[in-house]
Amino acid sequence: MSEPSLREPSQRVSARAPLLWAALALLQVAVVAGGLAAVVYAWQLFALPWWGWLCYAVVALAYVVVMPTFRYRVHRWEFTQDAVYTQTGWLTRERRIAPISRVQTVDVEQGPVARLVGLAQVTVTTASAAGPVRIEGLDHAVASRLVEELTRRTSAVAGDAT
Amino acid sequence: MTLETGLVTEPGWHRLDRRMLLVHPVNELVRFLPLVIGVFVLGSNSSGTDWWHVLGVLIPISLGVLRFFSTSFRIGSEQIELRRGLLSRNVLTAPLDRVRTVELTSTPIHRVLGLARVQIGTGSASRSGEQHFVLDSLGLEQARRLRVQLLHRSEVVTEPAPAEVAAPSPDRPGQPADDVLLRLDPRWLRYAPLTTSGIVIALGSLAFLGQFADNMVGAAAQQATERVATLPLWLSVLSGLVAAVVVVSFLAVLGYALTNWGFTLSRDRQGRSYHVRRGLLTTRETSIERERVRGLVVHEPLALRLAGGGHLAAIVTGLDRRSRGSAPVVPPAPRDVVVGVGELLLGNDRPLSVDLVSHGARARRRRWLRAIAVASVVPLLVALGAVLADWPWWLLAPAALAWPAAVVLAYDRYRRLGHALTGDHLVLQRHSLRGRRDVLLRAGIVGWNVRQTFFQRRAGLVTLTATTAAGEQAYRAVDIPEQLAVALAHEAVPGLLDPFLEQ
Repeated sequence: MSEPSLREPSQRVSARAPLLWAALALLQVAVVAGGLAAVVYAWQLFALPWWGWLCYAVVALAYVVVMPTFRYRVHRWEFTQDAVYTQTGWLTRERRIAPISRVQTVDVEQGPVARLVGLAQVTVTTASAAGPVRIEGLDHAVASRLVEELTRRTSAVAGDAT
Repeated sequence: MTLETGLVTEPGWHRLDRRMLLVHPVNELVRFLPLVIGVFVLGSNSSGTDWWHVLGVLIPISLGVLRFFSTSFRIGSEQIELRRGLLSRNVLTAPLDRVRTVELTSTPIHRVLGLARVQIGTGSASRSGEQHFVLDSLGLEQARRLRVQLLHRSEVVTEPAPAEVAAPSPDRPGQPADDVLLRLDPRWLRYAPLTTSGIVIALGSLAFLGQFADNMVGAAAQQATERVATLPLWLSVLSGLVAAVVVVSFLAVLGYALTNWGFTLSRDRQGRSYHVRRGLLTTRETSIERERVRGLVVHEPLALRLAGGGHLAAIVTGLDRRSRGSAPVVPPAPRDVVVGVGELLLGNDRPLSVDLVSHGARARRRRWLRAIAVASVVPLLVALGAVLADWPWWLLAPAALAWPAAVVLAYDRYRRLGHALTGDHLVLQRHSLRGRRDVLLRAGIVGWNVRQTFFQRRAGLVTLTATTAAGEQAYRAVDIPEQLAVALAHEAVPGLLDPFLEQ
């Protein structure tokens, strides 16, 4: 007899999600570059030769391109009659399972960049501070439907085990 | 039930105890002490500013009096309300069935006057509101009655008035006798220097003293250094170590006594709640509803474990964030005591005695690799120092001791790593230096997180986290083989994983 194993959640996030992640990564990389430039040119704490900038640019570009691709392969979600199940991360991966009966709140959030590409994030919290289940990069329409459905199901069951 | 608070302004609303009129002024004075001293010093320098003295004393006292008159509370059939505020009125309301814990604290001033500060935990996830549900203060008797009323609303009417008020014992005046499960044995003080908290307290107070008497200590240190400089190096290092051990041990014992003196764990007659009473100067009484206990954590840090000791905390919902939701139920004490109380609280001896399933060869390899890698940093740094900064090469010999230490640590870390499942509880054990065994009620698990770092994925291991609404909110099984983790989670909470499993 083989031991059962956990399969991946069935649903992928929106195909536009990598775009969102890339945009956010680009922002991060630019902020770091700005900080580095301030240290090197404005305060002149140390000098960075041209090939140093080149190295940074290569690494940053790789991050902006590779990370979203990896992430898109990993990020998945699913919800059934009784539970919400997600998989997130790219190098470190995490799967979270929360029973519908223990769900306390369901939130939809849209950051400024996410709004540009029409995506939203759904956060499902349980009574535990350690267990919020987050689904990033959902199509806004999908997110709204998901929240509606989740709210309907959670209100059907009482008690949150606090 | 009526509370004889006196000074009732509106029907149903109660004031704090009248004796608070004395406490607030004194407290405020202590808080304003630097200012008051400043006022007096300034006043003595320049003449004719005598009224400054009066103001410096009067303002804090009137603040205290005003606070007394502006605070009142009401306990209805459904909710408790706390009304406060001098300028802005502020009414805090909590449903009575949300009250999870009640804590009574008495500072030395409170104790002299027979008062107790009542802190009510409602288990709300909000970070701010919680610590504000405080009645500072009520008479000890009244506070205890209030506690019974809040924790066991239904039974309070039928409960007879405490009979032994006439002959109060100094320990628990006028309280219906509870079953005492544990009383501190002063011999347990010997464990104090072996606990991390004891050492932290000791170092903290050393730092405080250092600031306090900077000049004195500085002069003494100067003198000591001059004398020590004439001694051979090994002797001065040795005597310094011995002195440090003695001082830290003494302070740790002092800290243990301050927090845990008179530690008493009791259970009320009906078995509905537990009370923990402790403290040498400031006493603290925590009450925990039995239904709110979601498990136990047995702490066995390495040093304490070697001395045959441990301590025990309960995993509780509704304690505030400051105490991280874990209430100590046994202070550092012999292991037998810890296990005995643990079995009593769990009603079952399995979780503390059961043999654990170990996590296998790949988890062991990770323990060894990590320990050796971390230990190698020390000799490497010393070697680097020898090459670059002309440190003496013989320093490498003591630095190399890091390796055997790492071997012992890795061995112990793997030996202790494990998990088990009993009828009602999930048992997780890990760590060596901070050794702990978590016993979590299976019914209290509200979800699972399965986390895998890049290296864990290559080794086929995961970190399985059981999330819960109590205590630290998350309890982990680290480096458990993936298949084993899924099987464990599947078995611990039947049904939850069913739709996501494949053969």
